[in-house]
Order: sequence, then C-alpha cells, then structure tokens
Amino acid sequence: MADDSQRNFRSVYYEKVGFRGVEEKKSLEILLKDDRLDIEKLCTFSQRFPLPSMYRILVWKVLLGIIPPHHKSHALVMNFRKEQYWDVHHALRVIRFINDSTPQVDVFLRIHQLESGKLPRNLAFPLEPEDEVFLAIAKAMEEMVEDPIECYWLVTSFVNQLNSKHKDALQQLPKILEQYLNIEDNRLLMHLKACAAMSKLPYDLWFKKCFAGCLPESSLQRVWDKIISGSCKILVFVALEILLTFKMKIIALTTAEKITQFLENIPQDNTDAIVSKAVDLWHTHCGTPAHSV
Amino acid sequence: MAQQGNVGELLSMLDSPSLGVLEDITAAFKDNLICDRGPMLVNNLVDYYLETNSQQALHILSTLQEPHDKHLLDKINEYMGKAATRLPILSLLGHVIRRQPSWKHKLSQAPLLLSLLKCLKTDTDVVVLTTGVLVLITMLPMIPQSGKQYLHDFFGIFGRLSAWCLQNPGHVAEIYLVHLHASVYALFHRLYGMYPCNFVSFLRSHYSMKENLETFEEVVKPMMEHVRIHPELVTGSKDHELDPRRWKRLETHDVVIECAKISLDPAEASYEDGYYSASRKPCTNLKHHQTDPSASHYIDTQSSYGTSTPYSTPRLTLSQMPGQLPQILSPQSIQLSTEPQQVTIWSPSAVCGMTTPPTSPGIVPSESSQSSSQPYSKAFGTSAGGKGTPLGTPATSPPPSTSDDFVHVSLPSAAATPPKKEDKSDSGRPLLYRQQNVTNSDKSLDTPGSKSSVTLSDLPEFLGGLSFEDSAEKDREEDAISKEISEITTDAEHMVPRGGFDSPFYRTNESLSGSQKKTQSAVSGVQGHGQTSEPLTSSLDKPGPESARETPKQTFTPIDKPCGGSGESPAGNREGTSGETSILTPSPCKVPAQRRVVFGGGQPPLYEHLFEVALPKTAYLFVGKKTEELLKKVKGTQDEDCMASTSPVEVLDRLIQQGADAHTKELNKLSLPSKSADWTHFGGSPPSDEIHTLRNQLLLLHNQLLYERFKRQQHALRNRRLLRKVIKATALEEHNAAMKDQLKLQEKEIQALKLSLQKEQARYHQFQEEHENIVAQLHSQIRQLQHDREEFYNQSQELQTKLEDCRNMIADLRLELKKANNKVCHTELLLSQVSQKLSNSESVQQQMEFLNRQLLVLGEVNELYLEQLQHKHTDTTKEVEMLHAAYRKDLEKAKLCVQQQSQRLEASQKRIAELESQLSKKDHLFVEQKKYLEDVKIKARGQLQAVESRYKAQKRITQAFELEILDLFGRLEKSSLLKKLEDEKTEAAEAAEERLDCGNEGCADAVAGYSEETIGRNGETKPPSTRGSSSSKAGSNSELSTPEKNQNQRFINRWETSMLLEPSTTVPLTVGSLPSSQSFLGMKSRELFRNKSESQCDEQGGTINSLSDTLKTELCKDPNMETKAPPSPNNSLSPKIPESSVGQLHIMDYNETHHDHS
Repeated sequence: MADDSQRNFRSVYYEKVGFRGVEEKKSLEILLKDDRLDIEKLCTFSQRFPLPSMYRILVWKVLLGIIPPHHKSHALVMNFRKEQYWDVHHALRVIRFINDSTPQVDVFLRIHQLESGKLPRNLAFPLEPEDEVFLAIAKAMEEMVEDPIECYWLVTSFVNQLNSKHKDALQQLPKILEQYLNIEDNRLLMHLKACAAMSKLPYDLWFKKCFAGCLPESSLQRVWDKIISGSCKILVFVALEILLTFKMKIIALTTAEKITQFLENIPQDNTDAIVSKAVDLWHTHCGTPAHSV
Repeated sequence: MAQQGNVGELLSMLDSPSLGVLEDITAAFKDNLICDRGPMLVNNLVDYYLETNSQQALHILSTLQEPHDKHLLDKINEYMGKAATRLPILSLLGHVIRRQPSWKHKLSQAPLLLSLLKCLKTDTDVVVLTTGVLVLITMLPMIPQSGKQYLHDFFGIFGRLSAWCLQNPGHVAEIYLVHLHASVYALFHRLYGMYPCNFVSFLRSHYSMKENLETFEEVVKPMMEHVRIHPELVTGSKDHELDPRRWKRLETHDVVIECAKISLDPAEASYEDGYYSASRKPCTNLKHHQTDPSASHYIDTQSSYGTSTPYSTPRLTLSQMPGQLPQILSPQSIQLSTEPQQVTIWSPSAVCGMTTPPTSPGIVPSESSQSSSQPYSKAFGTSAGGKGTPLGTPATSPPPSTSDDFVHVSLPSAAATPPKKEDKSDSGRPLLYRQQNVTNSDKSLDTPGSKSSVTLSDLPEFLGGLSFEDSAEKDREEDAISKEISEITTDAEHMVPRGGFDSPFYRTNESLSGSQKKTQSAVSGVQGHGQTSEPLTSSLDKPGPESARETPKQTFTPIDKPCGGSGESPAGNREGTSGETSILTPSPCKVPAQRRVVFGGGQPPLYEHLFEVALPKTAYLFVGKKTEELLKKVKGTQDEDCMASTSPVEVLDRLIQQGADAHTKELNKLSLPSKSADWTHFGGSPPSDEIHTLRNQLLLLHNQLLYERFKRQQHALRNRRLLRKVIKATALEEHNAAMKDQLKLQEKEIQALKLSLQKEQARYHQFQEEHENIVAQLHSQIRQLQHDREEFYNQSQELQTKLEDCRNMIADLRLELKKANNKVCHTELLLSQVSQKLSNSESVQQQMEFLNRQLLVLGEVNELYLEQLQHKHTDTTKEVEMLHAAYRKDLEKAKLCVQQQSQRLEASQKRIAELESQLSKKDHLFVEQKKYLEDVKIKARGQLQAVESRYKAQKRITQAFELEILDLFGRLEKSSLLKKLEDEKTEAAEAAEERLDCGNEGCADAVAGYSEETIGRNGETKPPSTRGSSSSKAGSNSELSTPEKNQNQRFINRWETSMLLEPSTTVPLTVGSLPSSQSFLGMKSRELFRNKSESQCDEQGGTINSLSDTLKTELCKDPNMETKAPPSPNNSLSPKIPESSVGQLHIMDYNETHHDHS
C-alpha cells in the first residue's frame, strides 16, 4: 500500500514487540483520508485498536451508516438528518408528546418511537422493555456526544443495529459466557452454579443495554467501539472479565440475589483495566482481526 | 572681721595727703571692688563719703563698675528716704550720674528713681528740690525710653515746682527761688524737648484748671516764650514720641542737643545750628516792639554787631595786604569809595577769604609771619591804643585757651556761657563773609586754589551784589545766613588746630584771624581778640561811617543806626572799662557789669558798654531793657520783671554776676588777699541764717555749675562728632580737587599726545606716498622686463619649431634611404630566383617533349590493340545479355513485392497491437468508469438513504398526525353520529377491525403467514368482491408466482380491496372533505398498506438497480411502473387492464398524497 510508505515502517513491529496503540491515531487518520471511506477497514481498525476519542464519533457515524462513506456528502446528509430530527421533533411538539421540559433522552425515545412507528397512543402508555434499553443507551450516549442531533442518530442507529444485526447473536451470549467462564475459571462457574446465580446474572444490563449504566462512559466507549464495528462477542468477554475481577467478592457472596445486586452495581474505579483485560481476552479467544487488505 | 577693720583702715587712709599712698589706696579699693561682690565696701564708702565728703571716695563711687551698681543704688535709695542725708546723697547721685556709668540704663528700673520722684514730689526743701531736679534733668536723656513710664511723675513734678516758684509755700529766700526757677526752666526744656506732645497735652490739661492759671501766666508762659514749636508737635504723636525706636538711635548727647535745638533761649539753645540767631531775632524784635518808643538803641546795638565786623575786617585786610592784592583791591577800593559800605563790606572779606592764601603752603607762613601776632598786635595796639582794655584782654585770655587742649577749648566758653555766647556770635559775624565766600565758591566750583584772577575779581562783585541784595533789605536774611555761618565757623574754628594746613578753612581762618599760630591757635583766644577788637574797632570806626548815616533811606539802615547807638554805648563802655581796669578776663568784666545792673540800679550806664562787649545778644538786650525799666520804675521789683521777660537762667546769671560784683567791691574796699577769711573777719559775724543761705546758695550754684558742665560735655561730644564729619567732607573735597588737577594734567598730556600723533601721522603719510612712488616705478620696470622676456621666449620657440622640422626632414630622408636599399636587395633576390626558375622550366620542357613522344607511341600501340579486339567479339553475347537482364528485372520485381507484403503484415500487426492496447485501455477505462459509477452509486445511495430515512420519518410524522387527527375526529364523530344507523356502524366497525388486523400483520412481520396470503390474494384478483369472498376463493388459485410478482399482486389486490372497500370510490384527494367515518378509516388502512408495499418495492428496486443502470432514475420516481412490467408477461390474465388502470390511479394518488403531506 502506498499509504504504508508514509507510515512508520516500525509500526508493524510494534505490535509484535508488544507496544500497542503507538501509531493508531496516525493510521486512523490515513484511513479517514480516503475519499470513499473503507468501512471494512474502519471496522477492522476499530476492532483491533481503541479509537482515538477525537475521531470516535466520526467513525461511529460512518460505521453506523449515519453518514455515507463519501466525504462530500457528509454535510448534505447530516443536514438531512438534522432536518429530519427537527421535523420529527416539531411533529412531536405539535402532537404534544414532548415539550421544552422533556428530558433529552425522552425526546430521543419519542422520536425513535415515532420513526419506528411505535409511538403509543398517548403519553400514559407504560414503557416497554425495549424502550428501557433505548433510554439506557441514550443516557450513556448523551454523556459521550455533545450534539443532540448526532447523539440521537447514534443512539437510534446503535439500537437499530443491535435489533437487526445482533439480534440473534445477543440471545446466544449467555451460553457463550458460560462456556468461556468454564474455560477461564471453572471454580467461579461452579460457585455461580452452586448459587444458582448463573441464570440470574444481569444479562439484560450486560447484553441488551450493552453495559450502558453499568460501566462509566470512558470505558463504555471502548466496548461500544467493538460492538459498533460489528462484534457483539466483546460483551461476553467484558462480562467474563467483570466476573473474574470481582471473583473473590462473588465467591464471598452466596446468594444469587446478592450476586446480581453486586454485579448490577459494580464499583466504577477499575473499569478501564477491566475493559482492557476484556479486550485482550477477546483477542486471545477470538483472534485478532486481521487487516483485510 | 579683719575685712571690716581693713576697710575702716583703708577709708581712714583714703584722704591721706600723700599722693603715693592715695594712689595705693585707690588701687586697693578697686581691687577690693573687683574681688568682693558684696555690698559692704560700697556701703562703707557711701557712709564715708557722707561723713567726710571725701573727693577720693566720690571718685571711687562714681567709677563703680557693673556688679556694684545695685548696692550703690540701694544704698542711695536707703539714704534718700532719710531727710537728713537727702541732700548729700542727691549730690552724690548727681556726681555718679554725670559720670554716665555703663549701667545707666538700669536707673529706670531702680527703685531709686521712684524714691527720687517721690522726694521731688513731696520735699519742701528748695535746695534738695533744685538738686533733685537737676539730677533728674541729667538723668532724663540717659533713660529716654524707659523713663516714659514715669512721664506723668515728671510732669507732676514740673507742675508742682512751677507752682512752687510762684507761690513759694516754704517762704524760702528769693535767691533760692531763682535757682529753683532756673532748674524748673531746664526741666521744662528737657520735657518739652523730649516729649513735646505729651508735655503739651499735660500743660493743656494741667493749666486749664483755674487754680493753676496764675502759675501758667507767671511761670510757664514766659518759659514757653523761649521755645520754638517742636516739630514733633506737627509730625509726631503721643505714642510716637514714646516709641523706643525713636530713642534707640539717639545717644545721650543727641537727646541733649535735640532739647537744646528747640530752645529760643540763647543760654539754653544749641550753638551749632541756626536756631540761635533765628531765635534771637524774633526775640529782639519782640523786645524791640516792646521797647520801641524809648529804646531804639537795642536794635542799633544789634545791628551794630552786624556791621561793625565788616568794617573791622576790611580794614584789617586792607592794612595787611595792600601790596599783595593791588589789582583786586583797587576796584574794591574804588567801589568802597564810590559805593557805600556794602560793597566794601563784602569785597574785601571775599578777597581776603579767597585770594590771601596762595595755593602753596609756603606762602602761608610768610603771610602769616607777615600778618602774625606782631603786626596784628600792632593793629590791635593801634586799635587798642585808644582804649587800653583790649590790650589787656589779649594778654589775659590766651592763657586758659592755650593751657587747655582742643577738647577743652570750648570748656571755658561753656563754663562761662556769656563770653562764649559772645564769642560765638561775634566770631560768627566775621566768618559770615567767609562762609559766603565758601558757599559762593562752592557754587562757582572755584575754590581758593584757582588762580584765575577774572573769577576772583568777579566774585567779589557777585558776592557783593548777592549779599547786598539779600542782606541789605532785612536783617533777617542776614541773620539767617549768619546762622548757617555760625555752624560752619564753629566747625572751622575747631578745624584750625586739627585740620592740616591744606584745608581751605584753615587758610581762611588764618587769613582772617591772621595773628594765629598754627600750632597753638587757641580759638577762644583768637575769638577773644576778634571780639574785643571788633567791637572796639567798630566803635572806633564809628566816626568814619557816620557819613553813611546821612543816607537813612537806604536799605542798609542798620548801619547808620548802630552808629548812633554805638556812639552812645562806647562812651559808656569806655567809662566802665576804664573804671574797671583791674578786671582781666572778659567774663569778670561782664559779671560785675550785670551785677551792677541788678544791684546797683543807678550804675548801669557805667558798665552798660560792657554788656555790649560781653553779652552782645540777649544779655545785653536784657540789660538794655533792664536799664530802661529801671529808668521807668526807678528800682522796681527787678526780679519779677526779669521773670516776665527774661529766662530764668539769665536771671541766675545776673544773680551770680551781681554776687561776684558785690564780692569784688567788697574786696576792693577791703583790699585784702583772702576773701573768705576777711568776709567773716571784717564783715563781722554775719548772721547764721545769712551764712546758711550763702552756703546753700553756693551749693546750688555748684549744682548748677555741674549741670552746666554736664551739658557742656554733651556738647563737646557732639562737636567732636560733627568735626569728624567736616574733616571727612573736606578731605573728600581735597581729594576731588586733586583729582580734578590730575584730570587736567592728563587732559593736557592727552592733547600733547594727540599733537604728536598728528605729526606722526603726517610723516607716515609722506613715507607712504614715497614708498608708493617707488613701488609704482618698480612695477613698470618689471612689466617692461616681462615683455622682453616674452618676446625672447617667442623667438626661441620659433627657432625650436624650425629645428624640429629639420629633424623630421632628416628622419624622413633616412627612412627613404632604407627603403630604397631594401628594394634593391629584394630585386636582387628575385632576380636570382627567376634565373633558377628559368633553368628549371627549361629542363621540364625537355621532359615534356620526351613524354609527348612516348604518348604518341603508346597511342599508336593502343589503336593497334583495339583493332585486334573488335575483330574477336561479334554475335552470341547479345542474346544472353538480354536474357540475363530480363531475369534480373523479374527477380527484382518479385523481391520488391515480397518486401511490400511483409511490410504490410507488420503494419497490420502493429495496428492490431495498437487496437488491442486501446481495447485494454478502454476496458480499463470501463472498469474505472464502473468503479466511479459504483462510487457515485454508493454515494448517491448514502444520500438516498438519508433522504429515504427522512422520508420515512416524514411519513411517520404524517401518520402520527393523522392518528392524532383521526383520534380527534373520532372523538368528534363519536359524540355527533351516535344516532346514525346501527348497521352501517357495525359494518364499519367490522371493516375497520379487519383492516387493522391486516395492517398489523404487515407491520409486524411480512414473513409470517406469507405464502398463504399470497395464494389467497392471487385468486382474489379477478372477482370484484369483498375480502371475505376473495379469501374463500384463495384455494382455487394454484399458480405459483415469484415473490416479486406476489407482492405486486398483493399490493394491487390490496389496492383493489381498498378501492372496493370504499363505497364512494372517490379520489383520495378529497379525503379531508369527506365527512363519513368509513371513508376516513379506508383512507387510513390504504395508506398503511401502500407504505408497506412501497418499502418492499424499494428493497427489490435495489437489486434491480445493480442489474440495469438505465432504469435507475425511473426507479426512484415510480417503482410501481417497474414492478408492474415484469409481472405483466407472466400474468397473461384478463385483469391486466384494470390492474394497470388501478395502478396508474394509485400512482397518481400516491404522488398527490405525497405532495399533500410534504
């Protein structure tokens, strides 16, 4: 590749030696320089490396199809998106589903409901579980993205992706978790099974909400990088790592309720390490995605 | 107390007769005083003095230094309180004060002053009062500013004493009153002089009272007649005259003189300024008025003084120096003869004043020797020859004057005021002319030093005219002048001994008083001469000037009058003097005279002339008046009369004189050497009262004397100061004169230098001209020579050019020679060459001939061989040659053809390759294009997706809106159309339910129950029945169709069903306007279906897109057309037509609805 000549020739060896993330930003910049963005490459990159925060939103938008791979049409498309958002917003205001005091996530939810045609007849309708998921994700996303329009689009695209692309895979995740847990730490699995907590683990929080509300945003971003780039297996490894990290505590706990309660409110201080370890674990188990040149 | 005893011893030894002891004792006392600061010694001394009246003690006490003053004053104060010791202690105080100790300023603070004032206020002893007043008067100028607090005490004392004088409450002797009066008079002067405003206001207030009026009339008023208006009364104020600043710059003697200045009394007045003569005049005038009818000789005598001196002086000068100044004197003598006295008065004096002293001092002695004492004495002798008395006077008067130093020159005159006064006045007279000379000479700026006779001769005239005009008219002006003169003359007199010989004053003085010696020129003595001589001479001359008496109408009236007056008086004088030849000094002469006036009323005529001599001024006036009064009243109360008109001092003087007179008479009678002893012896024992009176009188006199001495000292001080000023002024004048001389000398020098400068300049001009001539000559020579030189130069240049030409010619010629030689050589060379060539060419010609011959031979041989050859080749060769040629040509042609073929082949091959490459390029291009197309497609798709999603959103929005609207309408209609037909209602409800189910199916999952539906629907297409019927027929249709087709069909079916469902079959545009709930529901369901189908179409359209590019645009616009086309061939059934129509309808519908919503 012509681009490789411009890159540091050592960058290939860095990984072999053990350095990571040395030339990531630069290589991402090179990737983003292509006029028609190569979505596959971006996907691979995103799976292999953590995204630099300054390009994260852009990459996400591209990967989620909010903006097309052509740079030229970015502005136009974003304008469309914006107009659409405001149109819907306006409509919702007109039919009085939202007003000025409505929280942003609710606004997102209503807009999403309207666009997906699932808008309830009136506001009194109780929220469905999928709406709860949406709200959780939207809340997390709202923390990460400043622009409400971008945020909405990311949330709705993310949710759509989960619902469409990973719908089947998500259902398989608890089984996979058990499987890997067996490989990694049999004793813990035994303990969990002994406590009958295996079925009561917070799967909804972990796999439907994709840890939204469980991990802090800075760590969550890195997890979502992988999800957005198409791999929902990472969720399993994150959950596995959480279990492994807090193994001693979990073993100390004997009832399923307590374990669930603890896992739903894990301490937030060491999440970066957890995520890093999870990514490593994922890489070791599923293999590092190679560059599809 | 060794000290005490020691002091007692010392005191006892104080009056030791031995001089050495005396000195030692005084020294011891002084040492003691220095060492001891206690009051003891001073007290002892004072006691001792009071006891013994020791002069030594007095001397020590009066010279006490600072720290002891307090003790002394305390002691005096102590004794002052005692009546017994009051008088001696007052005299002691007087002594001390007159010494002017350094601590005199402390007197004002001392309690002594208070006690003194108290004593003066309360004491009744006249002697004490008189002494105290004198002490006070002495003290006053010493403490001018500090004494002001006791001002009213002073005034009170004055008031008391003045009243005392009149009323005499103690009934003391008249003689005391005279003394007291005199001292009060002095106090009056002092107070008036020092504090005029306060004093006048006091007088005003004090004597405005009636009881004091008499005192004022009798005592104070006469006193006031003897004072001028004090200037302070005009300019000053009560506060101002008490101002310390006023007194600060005045010394004691200044104060004394200040007081004397305002006095009109000749006895009191200051001599140095003009008040005296000016004051005398009104006084005399007053007297004159008073005595006008009877005593006209007063004026005569007075004026005789004014005129007598001029007469005497010219005479003197004329007699002295007729030979010296004949040219000057002659006109004056002429004038003298022609004119009356005036001219003669002025001119001689002026001449002698200015011309007598030649500039060189050497002449002065000669002149002085000429006019020294001998000639003068001769003159005096001549003048005195007639009389005798003058002869005596010079003999007697010199001793005191010479014995005294200059400082004391004025002492006798001060001590004996009357003679002094005379001296002053008389010496002032002659000096008047000198003064005028001086003033005039000041004007003309030609002092005696100038030699020009013209100014000198003119000056007398000028002076004469001037003074004549001025003085002839009135005596006043003369007096006024004499006032000025008196100032200068007194100064001049003092100058004589001190000033150098160079001083003009000295000269004039000398010339005037001729006989004086420079070294011992005792002024008083000289004046004495002058005085005595002048009146005498005047009296002598009187017969002479009597001729002038005949001209009474002249302005110079005084002259003839004194003649008459003096004519009388000299006679009397002579008589008096002749009678009293024993009297040697002038003052004794006067005293008896006056005495006689007082006491011996009948005698006055005898010594009246003596007054003229001794008291020419006021005293004489008084005497005159006195005699007149005596004549009138015949021995009246003289004292009272005296009081009324004369000053108390004069009265006192007279008293003393009379006393002396009487004394001398007694002495004469007794002719005994010792007076005092005789007095007691021969006069019998006089009554003790008389003795006491006399003693007191003596004491008073002594006091008076001391006071007068004090005054004299003050005057002396002042005189000294004034003298210093005069010396300075004269020195400056001298200096000026010297400077002027120098200036003149320098001017002369300058002129001389100028002359020489002119000469030098002329010479210089001459030299310059000569020099210029020579220079001009030389210049012309130079010019000529230069001209010659130029000519020569030109010639030489010409010659040189010629020389050059010649040289050039020679060079040319040489060149030509060389060239010719060269040519010759060259030609020779050429010649040799040519000869060589010639030889060569000859040899070549020979060879050529040889070769030509050979050629000829060979040509012949060749011809021979050619002939041989032609004979041998003839027939066969031609054909073969022709064939060969033909073959060759054929071969060549074939070869060319082959070549061409191969070339074409190559070209075509190349062409093929090119085309192939082009093809590949094109392919590549195609690929690229495809790629690009793909790219664009993706791009467009991306955008399209966005648009699509947007559109979807819009659709959702509209759905939401519609739902909302429907909801609202539903509510509306629910309420309004409840009463409608129940059948319809149920039907509609059913239909709605079914449709909703359908919609839900489509929305939720398209996969579920898919096949069944399609089958059912396919069968459903034809029969135009409701859905329920179609579904029942579904099973009949067994034909399978592609999902695409199925969908399409399904879609169409739905359409149909929807169309069928709607009973009204109206265009969906009018949906909003239809009021029926059925129609709305239908619309809703239809929309829902259509949306669903459309989304499916879109998905399919995406697949189609990749297959055919051309349809892309149409796909977007109406996918329904596309979808319709494929199913049509498959669907060869009849419903095709209605389908299409319906589809078109649908399309239109869709578009329109879409537009409506957007």
